[in-house]
Amino acid sequence: MKEELLKIREVSKHFGGVYAVNGVSLGIRSGSIWGLVGPNGSGKTTLFDTILGLHRPDEGAIYFNSTCISHLAPHQIYALGLVSAFQIPRLFQGLSVLDNMLVAARGHQGDGFLNSLFLRGGWQRQEVEFADRAMEILELLELDRLALSPASELSGGQRKLLEIGRGLMASPTLLLLDEPAAGVNPNLGRRIFDGIENLRREEGLSFFIIEHRLELLFDFAHWVYVMDKGKIVVQGKPQDVARNPEFYQVYLGE
Amino acid sequence: MVEVNWAQVFFNSAVTGSLYLIGAVGLTLTYGLSRFPNFAHAEFIALGAFIGYLVAEQLGLGFLAALAVAFLVTGTIGVLCYRGIFQPLSEGGASIIHLMVASIALGFVLRYSIGALWGWKPSYFTTTWASFEIGPLRFTGLWLWLIFAAIALALAMHFVLVRTKIGKAIRATSSNPELALASGINVNRVILITWFIGAGLAAIAGIFRAADTQIWPMTGWDIILPMFAVAILGGIGNFYGSIVAAFIIGMAENLGVVALISFGLSTEYRTAIAFLILIITLIVKPQGLAMLFRRA
Amino acid sequence: MDPLVYVLDLIVFIGIFGIMSLSLNLEFGFAGLANFGKVAFFLVGAYTYAILSEIGVPFYFCLITGALISAMVGFLVSLPTLRLREDYLAIVILTFGEILRVVVKSERWIGGGVWGMAVSPAISIAGASARVGALVNIGLVYLCLVICFLVVQLLTNSPYGRVMRAIREDEIAAEVLGKDRAKYRAQVFALGSAIAGLAGGLYAQYIQFIDPYMFMPMVTFTVWIMVILGGPANNWGALLGAALVMLFDRGTTIAKDYLALAIDPINLQYILFGVLIILILLYRPQGLLRESKVKTKAIDRVGHERRATKNKGS
Repeated sequence: MKEELLKIREVSKHFGGVYAVNGVSLGIRSGSIWGLVGPNGSGKTTLFDTILGLHRPDEGAIYFNSTCISHLAPHQIYALGLVSAFQIPRLFQGLSVLDNMLVAARGHQGDGFLNSLFLRGGWQRQEVEFADRAMEILELLELDRLALSPASELSGGQRKLLEIGRGLMASPTLLLLDEPAAGVNPNLGRRIFDGIENLRREEGLSFFIIEHRLELLFDFAHWVYVMDKGKIVVQGKPQDVARNPEFYQVYLGE
Repeated sequence: MVEVNWAQVFFNSAVTGSLYLIGAVGLTLTYGLSRFPNFAHAEFIALGAFIGYLVAEQLGLGFLAALAVAFLVTGTIGVLCYRGIFQPLSEGGASIIHLMVASIALGFVLRYSIGALWGWKPSYFTTTWASFEIGPLRFTGLWLWLIFAAIALALAMHFVLVRTKIGKAIRATSSNPELALASGINVNRVILITWFIGAGLAAIAGIFRAADTQIWPMTGWDIILPMFAVAILGGIGNFYGSIVAAFIIGMAENLGVVALISFGLSTEYRTAIAFLILIITLIVKPQGLAMLFRRA
Repeated sequence: MDPLVYVLDLIVFIGIFGIMSLSLNLEFGFAGLANFGKVAFFLVGAYTYAILSEIGVPFYFCLITGALISAMVGFLVSLPTLRLREDYLAIVILTFGEILRVVVKSERWIGGGVWGMAVSPAISIAGASARVGALVNIGLVYLCLVICFLVVQLLTNSPYGRVMRAIREDEIAAEVLGKDRAKYRAQVFALGSAIAGLAGGLYAQYIQFIDPYMFMPMVTFTVWIMVILGGPANNWGALLGAALVMLFDRGTTIAKDYLALAIDPINLQYILFGVLIILILLYRPQGLLRESKVKTKAIDRVGHERRATKNKGS
C-alpha cells in the first residue's frame, strides 16, 4: 500500500462566511494521474490555491510527503516538490520564454544574492544545464523557436503550454495542473495529455489535474474526485464515476 | 505640568480638521475612482490660493468672489488635467505608479507656472478678520468661516450623495464601476464631475490656508501629506470616513502639540503626527475606517 | 565662476546622481519597488558621513558606514511594507522620508538641526585650487560610480536579476515557483539604500555643508525623472538619464546668466521637466533606452544556436 504523497484532511476555506471548500478529504499516491472535476464554482481552484499556500485553510490540515504544509508559504511548498500551473497563465510578460522557464529551475545557485555576484563560474555552468533542459521541454511543447521571444508575444494556446512547461521545469514530485487543456484545440489537448502520461511513465511524476474536458481526463486518470459546492461527492476510477448517476446530477445542477 | 486650555485645543482641532476635510474630499474621491494618488492635488490647492489672491487682492473683488472664482477655475483645470493626462494614460494601460509619477510631473508644471506668474516670494491676503474672545477661547472670523464652510460642505455632500441622481451615481461608481456602467450610469460623466468638485474644493482649502498663513507656490505641499492621511484613514474613496478622519487627525495634531510641549519636544514634530497616522494606517489597516460606513 | 570648474562641478554632480539613479533603477526598474523616499537614504548617508568625519573618522570609513547604515534603514523599512500595494508602498516611504527630515530639522544634536553643519572634504590637498579639488572629487565619485555600476550590472545579469524581474512582473507566480519575495524585496531595498547612502556621503563631503533643506522630496522626484527618462531596467539608461537631467539643469542656469528670458529659467526648467515626463509616460514609457535583457552565457549560447539553425535554413 503506497504511502500517500498528498494528504488532505477535512480542509475548509471560507470567505466572509461563504464556504468555498467545505470539509474536503482526499489522498494522492505517487506515480499516477489523479483527477478533480466538478461544475464551475464547486471550489476546485480554491482547493488548489489552498494546497499551494496561497490561502490558509480555516479548518483541517494538508500533508505533503508527511510534512504538514497547511501554514507554509508558497515558496516553501515549492521547495518540497509541490508545483502548480495556473488555469489562467501567470507568465512573466516582460521576460523571454526561456527566462520564464529558467526562473522555475530548482536549486539554481545563482538565485542567491552573494552567489550571483561571486560564484559566477558555478552558476554559469549550472545555467547551461538548465537551459538545455528548458530547451528540451520547449521542443516537446513546440515552443523552442520562440525561446528568446518575450512571453507577451505568445498566443493564448502557447501561453498555456509555457505555463505547463514552467511547471515541468521545476522538477516537481507532484504537479498540480488547473485545466491544462482549456482553450486549446482538441488535438493539442490530447497531445498535452499524452505528454503528461509519458512523463508519468518515464520519470515517475505524479499529477493532480483539474479538467473540464472530461473525455480527455477520464482516458488518462487513474482516480477521479468529483467536487460540488465545496465537498467531494463522488470518487473512484473514471469508468466507475462515469457510470454513477450522482455524477450526472452534479453536472446538470439541482 | 503645562496648563492646558482645553477649549482652545478642541476649537483648534475643529479648525485644522475643517481645513483638511475640505481639501481631502477631492483627494479621496479621485483616488477611489481613478485608482491612483493624485499628487498634483497639492497644486490644485496652491492654484486656488493664487487665483484667490488674484481676485481678492490684485483685482480687489473681495474674499467671497475669490472663493467662487477659484472654485470654478481650478475645478475646470482639474477636469482638463484628467482628460488631457490621466484619462489617456489610464486607458493606455498605465500602472498606478506611472499615473502617480504623471501627477507629480503635472505638479511640477503647475507649481512652477505659478512661480513664473506670481514669483516665489510669499504674499498675503489683506482682508482683515474680526477677532473674538469668548471665555478661554480666542479665534478669528476666518477660522469661524472655515468651520462653517466645512460643515456646509459635509451637509451639502451628504444631501447630494443621498438625494440626488448624480450623487447616487457617484456612490454606485465608487463601489463598483463595472456594475455602474452596466446599469446605464454615465461613468465618464461621474468621473469628470468628481474631478471638478475635487479640484474646486482643493482651491477653497487653498484660499483658507493661504489666508491663515501665507500665499506661496508650496502652499499645497505644506499640507498635502496630512490630507493624504485623512483620505487614507477615512478609507480611500469614502466621503463619510474622511469626515471622521479629518476630525481625528485635527485632534491628534493639536493634542499632539500639547503632548510635545509637556515632554519638552520641538513643536516641529506636529506635522509628523499626521505622517505617523498615515504610515500606521497603511501598514496595519489600509482600508482605514471605511468598514464603519457604507461605501460612499 | 571659472568655466572649467563649472564643467568639472557638473561632472561631479552627474557622478553622484548617476549613483542615485542606479540605486532607484535597481529598486524600481528591475524589482518593481516604487521607492518614493529615495532622498531619505541619501540623507542618512550624508548625515552619517558628516557626523563621523567630524569626529575624525577617515573618509573611506565614513562612506562605507554611511552606506551600511542606509542599508540597515532600508532593510528595516522594507519589513513592514512587504505586502503593500505599490502605491501604498510609495506613499509610506515618501512619508517616512519626510518624518526623517522633520527629526533632523528638530534635533540640534543631529547635524545642527535647521542650521546644518559643515563637512570637511574627503581628500583635501593643502593649497590646491578649486580645479584640483574638483578633479579629486571626480576621481573619488567616479571610482564609486564604477564599483556601483559593476555590482548592479552583475546582479541584474544573473539568475538573481531574473528573479527580480519575475517578482516585478508577477509576484504570486514567482512565489509559487519557489522565490521568497519577502527576502528578495528586503535584499534589493537594502542594496539600493546602501548605494544611495554612499551617494549621500559623497554629496556631503563635496558640498562641504548639509542641512535639512537639501533633502526635500524634490530630490527623490528628480531621481525618478532620471530613471524614467533614461529607461527603467537599463543601467546605462539610468546613467544617461542622470547626465541629461543634470545637463539640462545646468544649462538653464547658464541661460539665466547669459540670456535674458521672459521667464526665470528655473521655473521654465521645471515646467519643461514636467511636460517632458508627461510626454514620455504618454508616448514612450519605456524611456530612451529599452529594458536590458538578462545576459548570461547560457542565454548567449541559445541565441547562437538559434542563429546557426536559422542560417542553415532549417
